[in-house]
Amino acid sequence: MVVLNFTLTPEAAAKVHDLLVCLGKFSDTVAIEARRKSFTFTALNSSKSAYAAVGLDAKQFFTSYECIPSHGGPEGRFTCSMYMKALLSVFKGRLYDPLGRDGAIDRCEVTVQDRADQTECRFIVRMVCNQGVIKTYKLTYEAVDVMHALFDLNVAKNRWSMHAAAMKEYVEYFGTKTEMLDIFAGEEGRAVFKSYTEKITNGHEILKHPLVTAVAVNTSDFEDFNVQTGLHIIISVKDFKAIVLHADTLKTSLKAYYSRPTRPLQLSYGSDGLLCKFTLMTSGDYNASTASTPAPQVLSRQASRAESASNERPENGNTGSEMPPPNEPASRRSARRRNPGSKKPSSPRRERPDSETLFVQQDDEDSRWEPLDYNNEEETLGWDASAEHDAAVFPTFRDTARGSQIGTEDSVEALAPTQRISQIKGLW
Amino acid sequence: MRFKASIHNITTFTKLTASLNSLGPLAWVKLSDEHVCFTIIPEQGTQVWAVLSIDSIFETYTVQSAAGNVINLEVPLTSLTRALKSALNATSAQLRLTKKDSAPLLALTIAVANAPNAHAAFPATAANNDDGFDAPFDSAFGSGNRETIVTQEIPVRVLAPDTVAGLHEPQCREPDVHIILPPLLQLKSISDRFTKLAMAGVKSGAATAPSRTRLEVAANMHGCLRLSIKTDAMSISSVWTDLNNPELDPSQVTGIAEHPSTRMKQLGTADGRSDEGWASVRIDGRDWGKVMSVGRLGGRVIACECECALCFCHDHALILYVYLPSDNGEDESVLTYYVSSYSA
Repeated sequence: MVVLNFTLTPEAAAKVHDLLVCLGKFSDTVAIEARRKSFTFTALNSSKSAYAAVGLDAKQFFTSYECIPSHGGPEGRFTCSMYMKALLSVFKGRLYDPLGRDGAIDRCEVTVQDRADQTECRFIVRMVCNQGVIKTYKLTYEAVDVMHALFDLNVAKNRWSMHAAAMKEYVEYFGTKTEMLDIFAGEEGRAVFKSYTEKITNGHEILKHPLVTAVAVNTSDFEDFNVQTGLHIIISVKDFKAIVLHADTLKTSLKAYYSRPTRPLQLSYGSDGLLCKFTLMTSGDYNASTASTPAPQVLSRQASRAESASNERPENGNTGSEMPPPNEPASRRSARRRNPGSKKPSSPRRERPDSETLFVQQDDEDSRWEPLDYNNEEETLGWDASAEHDAAVFPTFRDTARGSQIGTEDSVEALAPTQRISQIKGLW
Repeated sequence: MRFKASIHNITTFTKLTASLNSLGPLAWVKLSDEHVCFTIIPEQGTQVWAVLSIDSIFETYTVQSAAGNVINLEVPLTSLTRALKSALNATSAQLRLTKKDSAPLLALTIAVANAPNAHAAFPATAANNDDGFDAPFDSAFGSGNRETIVTQEIPVRVLAPDTVAGLHEPQCREPDVHIILPPLLQLKSISDRFTKLAMAGVKSGAATAPSRTRLEVAANMHGCLRLSIKTDAMSISSVWTDLNNPELDPSQVTGIAEHPSTRMKQLGTADGRSDEGWASVRIDGRDWGKVMSVGRLGGRVIACECECALCFCHDHALILYVYLPSDNGEDESVLTYYVSSYSA
């Protein structure tokens, strides 16, 4: 018997869409954890190398928020897991539109139906649209225990922060298909972001090697830059891109915290009651040139345990089975990262490099000159689709009568004008 | 072996590599003291032999090698184009040949000026700050070291002189007809439309049969160009008139009186209605669409409009010359497309 009801403004619903798109780049499922004062979306990727948590503040983010977990008292929680696709088809893009065009909503009401006396447990979303239309979505969910990655800010002495819009500009230089991102605090006041691939290729294959891109940024361009000189830290470039793109939608600053390679790195940002924290696995010195890595390992391990106890333990027995993935031995994780086969992209969706750009750029003008893609379905002429002899893409009234017409003279007339007479014979 | 050059015309270079990339993934790039040559020889389809004057894309150019200061490289065009695109807003861009872990690569080093702390100071208007109106104060009084340096490393292969010795530009007899093309965008959209019509209603598997997408291109010596497509069900053609047939230069061509084009001049009319005097070739519509991709080099500025001439050897070959204007007007850059043609 859980009570969970909340209402979102269109702006907030649009932000939920944006954050789901971002989390969708990490995992196919999203976990939800509702507490009395906060609501959290979490996602963990399949190789458990990246963990994302987006916390929404009950007072700031929601118009109204009520959560009474069935047990656990003030620290109790309601947790469940849902398919990202299902949620994204509810929280579509363009929920917020000041001009009130197609798809815009007036408000979004969410309730969870989870009672012993009801036959169905559902996550119910009601999109109240502008013309009095109410769209109600009833989503299934799976009761799961939500796990949290633990991160000890006290040990993460290396920190920097930069406005997401600036960081997005740098990320756009990176070539497609690269895998790794090396963040290097160089000398002479420069930080180097280098995207590359570790794949070893030889012979003719070498020309298929993706671009290696290094962006050297003045540390004075950071809002804050406090990193041990000479430190390399390596994360997945795909994760970093996803995070930067989302941070840019919030027009906020991106902050990074890390201690040393093989220990987790945290990227965080937030505004208006929304706080995103991404805990990413890192791997070691990519060229092993710096021997000056500090070794506060024992300390960090204990501190992170201690924090985990203070933050997460006071929960009730049946929800306390948290197994924080980052506590896995660091050596094992870094070994896994070096093996390219184990790090599969969690989402098959290919991200277009400039898909977020609203404004027409030079590329678009240029695209007119691209050779035409004749296999594009939408480009084909289709005034009489029934002439297609495999199932027609556009059903027409002729489809129903086709069975009786086959073999008669009439059907010849239904051919598209470009059909060669010589080819027709073979079809019957 | 050394090669180092700064790029002064990034837009042209990017458009050039992008249009070459539509014909094939790899280019043979020959760097020498006189020219920069790009050659694409795809397994099938149109070949391009481009000879560019050095100053059309580079300045401060040095090339040194044991083989008479000539360097031959095999370059993946997709990577090169992608790298050059990231340099479009650069204040300076430099290309050099270097080695990393004994693998040769072209390193493109780009300096990008960024308005200092623009994003931090005005987060809400960050997107509008790129015009740089508020930048001069900082660049005048600030540290002056505000540039972001981006390095793009493009993997390449160095080709030995023996490897490229066997590659020769195709030889053709003197053309029957030569003509300056109408605006390429117009030509491209019409030929794309024709190709699409030819393929409409065909299952995608059958559409790959090239016999369906054969375009017939024909021209006469009276300024007419005709693009047509014929199937059993239809016959469509578009005719351009009042185009220019350039005069042959007596200093370049000997025996103009016996030249095939002189003979062709006796036949046909300027309204394009006569059946005589046409030199025609059959080409693949999709391949032609890729060739037309060179039109992007022309741009919208009339002064930069590139000039395209088409030479017809009746039933035999089609050659497209694209002349790029150069700053000093002397060393012309020419892209030569040998369009593959089919017999009837």
